[in-house]
Amino acid sequence: MPAKAPRPVWVIGGNRIPFVRSNGPYSHASNQDMFTAAVDGLADRYGLAGEPVGDFAGGAVLKFARELNLSREVVLGSKLAPETPAFDVGQACGTGLEAAILIANKIALGQIDSGIAGGTDTTSDAPIELNEDLRQTLMDVNRIKDPKKQAFTLLKKFRPGMVKPEIPVNREARTGLSMGEHTAITAKEWNITREDQDQLTFESHQKLAAAWDSGWQDDLVSPYLGVEVDGNLRADTSMEKLAKLKPVFGGKDGTMTAANSTPLSDGASAVLLGTEEWAKERGLTPRARFVDAETAAIDYIVKQEGLLLAPVYAVPRMLERNGLKLQDFDFYEIHEAFAAQTLATLKAWEDPAFCKSRLGLAKPLGSIDRSKLNVKGGSLAAAHPFAATGGRIVANLAKLLEEKGSGRGLISICAAGGQGVVAILER
Amino acid sequence: MANVELKRPPGAGGLYLKAAIGMTPLAGNRKKELPDTVFSLAPKAVDVDKLSGFCRVTEHTLTGTLPPVYFNVLAFPLHMALLTSNGFPFPVIGLVHVQNKIEQSRPADVSEEIGLQVSATNLRPHAKGRQFDVITEARVGDELVSKATSTYLRIGGGGDKSLADDKSAGVDYSTLPQVSEWRLAGDLGRRYASVSGDRNPIHMHDLTAKAFGFPKAIAHGMWTKARALAAIDNKLPDAFTADAAFKRPILLPSKVTFGVAERADGLDFTVRNAKKGTPHLDGSIVNG
Repeated sequence: MPAKAPRPVWVIGGNRIPFVRSNGPYSHASNQDMFTAAVDGLADRYGLAGEPVGDFAGGAVLKFARELNLSREVVLGSKLAPETPAFDVGQACGTGLEAAILIANKIALGQIDSGIAGGTDTTSDAPIELNEDLRQTLMDVNRIKDPKKQAFTLLKKFRPGMVKPEIPVNREARTGLSMGEHTAITAKEWNITREDQDQLTFESHQKLAAAWDSGWQDDLVSPYLGVEVDGNLRADTSMEKLAKLKPVFGGKDGTMTAANSTPLSDGASAVLLGTEEWAKERGLTPRARFVDAETAAIDYIVKQEGLLLAPVYAVPRMLERNGLKLQDFDFYEIHEAFAAQTLATLKAWEDPAFCKSRLGLAKPLGSIDRSKLNVKGGSLAAAHPFAATGGRIVANLAKLLEEKGSGRGLISICAAGGQGVVAILER
Repeated sequence: MANVELKRPPGAGGLYLKAAIGMTPLAGNRKKELPDTVFSLAPKAVDVDKLSGFCRVTEHTLTGTLPPVYFNVLAFPLHMALLTSNGFPFPVIGLVHVQNKIEQSRPADVSEEIGLQVSATNLRPHAKGRQFDVITEARVGDELVSKATSTYLRIGGGGDKSLADDKSAGVDYSTLPQVSEWRLAGDLGRRYASVSGDRNPIHMHDLTAKAFGFPKAIAHGMWTKARALAAIDNKLPDAFTADAAFKRPILLPSKVTFGVAERADGLDFTVRNAKKGTPHLDGSIVNG
């Protein structure tokens, strides 16, 4: 059988619901509710109601055990044809982009002609679990056959402290540090100042506010539960206001605040990918090509790499494969988990010693034109419902490239566990 | 024609007290004809928390679109106000909900303000007594988005045996393939009561249900219809008519099966007792 050449893959469009802060207007919405709403909005926008698509990939970072088939359940409850297959993806905050990569690869290989990738997360409807000691005790008791012995063992092993439930925490399993605490170390190492972090935060809000005001978001977002605009957006914030906040990570002298770190939030997003032919048959105009992607992982434990700096490694590998320089892009979509992580990423690419010793490069990647960074705002303003961020960014960048007519964009997303997912879109 | 506008929904507790009084001689004179009063609630935003509770209990996805049965929940205080109004021909307790037809012209979003009007019409004989319709109209501005016709039966005088169901006509629901099995918990009536406001004692506890002649608490008919529509949610077009006949009550707890079959212009569905196969609800969707 002759090998087939990969086919060009296009981002046709995307849809998300407005992102909101935790325990706000989506408090009673589940992952499945929000994801279904985002997918229904996508189906409405691109005429997919009752239509099967080739495959559907999605996920959530925080999910219940009963949501094991979340993506398939979303398809079955959505306007898409029930004949659409679906699978779950999980790669922490890289979930949404990794889902898009998986769908794009299937399209490129000719296995499917169209697909949907997305993600959803809620920190309001989070899975609270049985206390681990109690769970293990109950499992042990369940294995005992004699009911009398069962009751006796349960009484013997039960401790009052076992009624305390396990609440999910935003903490690295192997270091015990929260993501913010990890990033505070990175901020210190790279001398990322409070002012620079606040400046990036301020600009993120300004740019997202302008994107909403000009109607730019109108074909990227559909209202949900009466919410029409991202709830975390603070259009009226100022450097003075940001400067007043107390640090939340890194101790008294820390530089990271509740504003220059993304808040816990709720939301969902989905993007439609396909071949040019598939799009044209349906009268749809594809926006940008999904060209390449790379995932990197680093040893943040023994080698003490910055937990969220894996994209620093992923990008040069992807650039080399495509014969590109870091400066060969018209847009940079770098996920702002924390202002400090975004700025440390840029600084690492500029640093000759780091690029040589860690990345094995003769020359540093160099700096980027900051006016091309997150031009419609980033996660600091939009907020960051973990698995939903990838879909937001892919849809944003595809629209930017379509508007520009031709050009190239870079996506970079950091994820828990010392991982980074990056991609190139072109038009 | 008279109009009564409720400023705010009254508490259901008071309504059932009024309903209970309606069973006694204190009720005053009952008229022979249905009142021509239209009961209304001014356009009002939907409470998302309450909607999400309804969606959980009926297993709808909270997409922000109002489930078809939800207008019935929003209008429930008006139904009670109508059925317990002075001079209403029948006491509300003892009325049997036999049929519910929802004609939806388009889905309404939770962000839209819904105005509601409820009236009674078409008093007519039934094989076992007399029946009449309660009409519920839901509007966004002047646009009618949903019209529901609930038919109630008062068993007793005025019946016409010649009106017995014609068994030969229509769909044989017993032949629909049973595709799902639902286990309904003993507290389902209380759970639906808390999200719908319908705290009719026949749904709340075995004891209160026994007082009204049921061996156990029974599921709300509108829960059963809402649950059935949730099961076929992704098959419903924007505009449709969803008709359902309530057959035997579901005694709680219960195991029931859901049957469904597609037609060219919609589908037929049924909810049946899992053990005996006897019908609880037979329904149909007609697209457009």
